[in-house]
Amino acid sequence: MTGSRYSRQSFLGEFSEDAISDCIIGVVGLGGGGSHVVQQLAHIGFQRYVIYDDDIVEESNLNRLVGATSVDALAETPKLHLAKQMIFGLQPNAEVVAHACRWQERPDPLHRCHIAIGCVDSFKGREELENECRRHLIHYIDIGMDVHGTNPPVIGGQVILSSPGGPCMRCMGFLTEARLAEEGRRYGDAGGRPQVIWPNGVLASTAVGLAIDLTCNWTCQRRTREYLSYDGNEFTMKPSLLLRNLEGLACPHFSDTEVGPPILIEL
Amino acid sequence: MTYPKDQTDALRPYCKKLSSFEEGGITFLLLERLKLPDGCTPAECDALLCPVAKDSYDSRLYFETKVVCQYNRNWNAADVRIGQRNWFAFSWRVVLPGTTLQGLLIAHLNGFAKAA
Amino acid sequence: MEIRLSGQLYNQVVADLIRPHPFAAERVGFLIGRIGSTSGNPAAVLLTQYRTIPNDHYLDDPKVGARIGPKALATAMQLAHSGRISGEGIIHVHLHGHRGETSMSKTDQREIPGLLPGFRAVNPSAPHGIIILSLDHGSGWIWSPKATGIAQVDLISVIGAPVKVFRRGRV
Repeated sequence: MTGSRYSRQSFLGEFSEDAISDCIIGVVGLGGGGSHVVQQLAHIGFQRYVIYDDDIVEESNLNRLVGATSVDALAETPKLHLAKQMIFGLQPNAEVVAHACRWQERPDPLHRCHIAIGCVDSFKGREELENECRRHLIHYIDIGMDVHGTNPPVIGGQVILSSPGGPCMRCMGFLTEARLAEEGRRYGDAGGRPQVIWPNGVLASTAVGLAIDLTCNWTCQRRTREYLSYDGNEFTMKPSLLLRNLEGLACPHFSDTEVGPPILIEL
Repeated sequence: MTYPKDQTDALRPYCKKLSSFEEGGITFLLLERLKLPDGCTPAECDALLCPVAKDSYDSRLYFETKVVCQYNRNWNAADVRIGQRNWFAFSWRVVLPGTTLQGLLIAHLNGFAKAA
Repeated sequence: MEIRLSGQLYNQVVADLIRPHPFAAERVGFLIGRIGSTSGNPAAVLLTQYRTIPNDHYLDDPKVGARIGPKALATAMQLAHSGRISGEGIIHVHLHGHRGETSMSKTDQREIPGLLPGFRAVNPSAPHGIIILSLDHGSGWIWSPKATGIAQVDLISVIGAPVKVFRRGRV
């Protein structure tokens, strides 16, 4: 990459353009969070993408789906198409591996990623993604928001970095059996979860910032773990206190040797 | 985690090959070519037994494919990714605290043979 | 094909290889790795562990940068044998003290590939290979289980902070 397009981000480092263009980045879920992520990645200069979403644009998405228009809702445009349009509009030479399906149906492309950003809407989905990223030595960044309660409603969210060798989302107390069980019990409950654009934007921007730091190390912090809690009512993003307790501890949920296909022990 | 040998030995007659593997802190039991009850299509397939609590079930038996049987089952887990393979499971709650692995397996397979 | 390892493992390897040796000019180590895919397509070899070679397992040979002795080779063969169940193979690794893309020196070409048939004989269903690191790059060669010989990999990815991508042909 040459020229003045990236001159304003030269502070990322002398070799940042090459590092960004070399990195293969995955985005799973191209809805409210993922559409923001893809937009920013394309602006910054990522060239190699692996993206998944099997959904189409609907009227109810238009309050938050970046890049979507009323025409897309009428035309039932695949969200994948919007993402590709966004990427190629800014990076015409990008390599984009795009699948209009759940990643579990075609997992091989995901394995090529150096960083995967999960913008999925279930704890189960997050668990499976993180497991796969651990098996294939991929940095996993998870984002999500929720709204609960009334009088007033409370907006919360998270940005989590789970890296090979570091604490996982279970270590961080984010993924718990209780949460997974509760979600399992609610399976099939009707109704979409509350979602609005500005918290998605905050979370997505933070996730992209983390991805850039993983690629360029411009903060010089060499971070391999992060758990940022978003308080949408106070407009803050703060490190979770739980992470402090994990300093120096090995993750008991994923061993260093549990990469690639599972090691089957014949009984 | 290792399971008692006598319990894993009791599973062997049900399948062609029995193995275990770890993922996310859980030890799964892989039963290759598990024989399914009469009337099932296919008659046998690979299955994955999770003997511990997961996803709101006290235990769960996953199959490599949706199995057709005389009862219309709710396959509420599809393309669940475990151990680098995709699995399917139907809604069937087995609550047998303290039972053996064989007891769990039979109870889960009863989902094909019993109405409810 | 790709070789991939965590940043922690990479740092462990480099920290070991840059240590001075009492008489050898270079150090050598062994990485353990597995094919990453169940689909049979060996797109990636994932490295999991590193074994350092003790000082007294080297032979004092001033004609080469480093020569490992029979004890080191026996350890490597034992590791190859131990990897039969898990599909883990042995990757010989050392470091050239320059920057930029690396390649096998004449000595490397003469000495190292000859080790692989032995590993393969002991554990034919695992990948075995060679990695040569520089101070900021690396090259790798892998003999996949179904291949007839070794092939240079297209990239080595270090999944650490930051991510490092050593791409073949990129200096």
